[in-house]
Amino acid sequence: MNKIFGVALGILAAIGGFVDIGDLVFNVAAGATFGYQLLWVVVVGVVGIITYSEMCGRVSAVSQKAVFDAVRERVGFKAGLITLIAAEIVNAMTLTAEVGGVAICLQLLSGLPYRVLIVLAAIALAIVVWVVNFDWIERIFGYGGLCLLVFAVAAVKLHPDWGAVGHGFVPHVDTGNKLLYAYFAVGLLGAAMTPYEVYFYSSGAVEEGWTVKDLGLNRLNAIVGYGLGGILSFALMIVGGALFLGKGIDPETLGSIAMGAQVPLGEIGLILALVGILFAVAGASIDTLFSGAYDLAQFCGFEWGRHKSPAGAPRFTLTWIVLLILAMLAVMTGVDAVKLTEFAVIFSVVALPLTYLPILLVANDKAYMKEYANGRLANTLGIFYFVIILIVALTAIPLMILTNLGQG
Amino acid sequence: MAVVAAALLAGCNGGTVDQHALKQDSKTISSLATEGGLFAGQVARGESTGPYTRIQSDNLGRLAANLADALGRRKTSPGIEPKVRTAGRLAAQVAEQFKALHDHPTDRAVARSVQQAFGPLADHADKLAK
Repeated sequence: MNKIFGVALGILAAIGGFVDIGDLVFNVAAGATFGYQLLWVVVVGVVGIITYSEMCGRVSAVSQKAVFDAVRERVGFKAGLITLIAAEIVNAMTLTAEVGGVAICLQLLSGLPYRVLIVLAAIALAIVVWVVNFDWIERIFGYGGLCLLVFAVAAVKLHPDWGAVGHGFVPHVDTGNKLLYAYFAVGLLGAAMTPYEVYFYSSGAVEEGWTVKDLGLNRLNAIVGYGLGGILSFALMIVGGALFLGKGIDPETLGSIAMGAQVPLGEIGLILALVGILFAVAGASIDTLFSGAYDLAQFCGFEWGRHKSPAGAPRFTLTWIVLLILAMLAVMTGVDAVKLTEFAVIFSVVALPLTYLPILLVANDKAYMKEYANGRLANTLGIFYFVIILIVALTAIPLMILTNLGQG
Repeated sequence: MAVVAAALLAGCNGGTVDQHALKQDSKTISSLATEGGLFAGQVARGESTGPYTRIQSDNLGRLAANLADALGRRKTSPGIEPKVRTAGRLAAQVAEQFKALHDHPTDRAVARSVQQAFGPLADHADKLAK
């Protein structure tokens, strides 16, 4: 019974922790621009992240090694270094956007000065990472992120055209601006399959000491956690379509996104939305922070892990502290967190093949994985998604330039 | 990556205002005014919080003010100067309404009057965008 309860709690945390600032920005903007037409892309993205997270978790459980360990071993130093640099650049951009998002949410809730809140946010994140253990970090931010379910209620209360919503799950293009449609499709895929998620997931599996006995838990976490988390993405896009599209509003700020729950549900909707966004972006800040430190430590062979004391993994600890300070300083320059999010998501798309190819190779390696190597389904999905990833990686930057960052 | 990002960021609100840019900017003004109307309506109904109203109106007002400033400074293609000036004025008026909301975040009467002011501004910007 306790085990079932633990699994349920883990799944709840995974749902609440699914959405980050990239999902918030791209899903609402896609809804505000194309209504429900791009819901099918969210499904594609969610199945993609389930496929690769399951592989990552399996590799970690079988080998007790995280993704970057495998990258270093499997693709060699040079290719591994390129992957590391790409991952760290995208990670730094995402972390900066997330820290900026935390400060914006705190400001919308408290009204205090933005720059003061940037510093307070960074200090609070550092204290949480330093003091709170890994399980509780996941729980606190995952459960807090569940406040985002207010967008699911808001989506229903906005009375969308459910027929059109259903039609959105069938791939179709019903617009004159096909480039913009493609840009948003690429952005939604990038937001759903952000590299830091798999790095964090696989390292987390090692932190929690998963073994082959946990392969069922891995599958359940990946499928149910990410799958149900996808509901939040649907809700955000439906809110964007039902509230903003008809009125011609382009929601350009995080505060505008929160208004998506305020209009149908009033003040309580607004507060829940702001709290949910706060926990979601704060949780994602910690995930990206860890992810950056994990990648460097695993590549260089440093001691790593939150389960170790800071003195037990000093270079890992120093890395996340430096990353957090750099992100805080970058946000202090006044960079627009929402615009930076769009850049981070699009650049992360470019880095996707470098992240996912080594995972596919290692998970498919019978010498490494033995009887736990990819089966036919995992391979079919893995290869299918790798082809998609290659296509979107090649088109992401041209689309970003041609559409002037989604302005049309 | 950094070069592409810098080039795109440098392009924001820059360059000559041609017909396409005027259309895009007018759409943005219309979007801000419509959002402002919706937002002010929530405040007028007492369905917002003081800090959110103050900060969000400041954020949206800053976007409108930046646009007004850019439309006033940028070179304009021949033949569309009057429309660009009108768009700049509209953006400045939108910014003013947000400032009123920012200065009186809990005053429902002010919010009602701001809500009413946003409607014609959005319509006017919409016409410019067509």
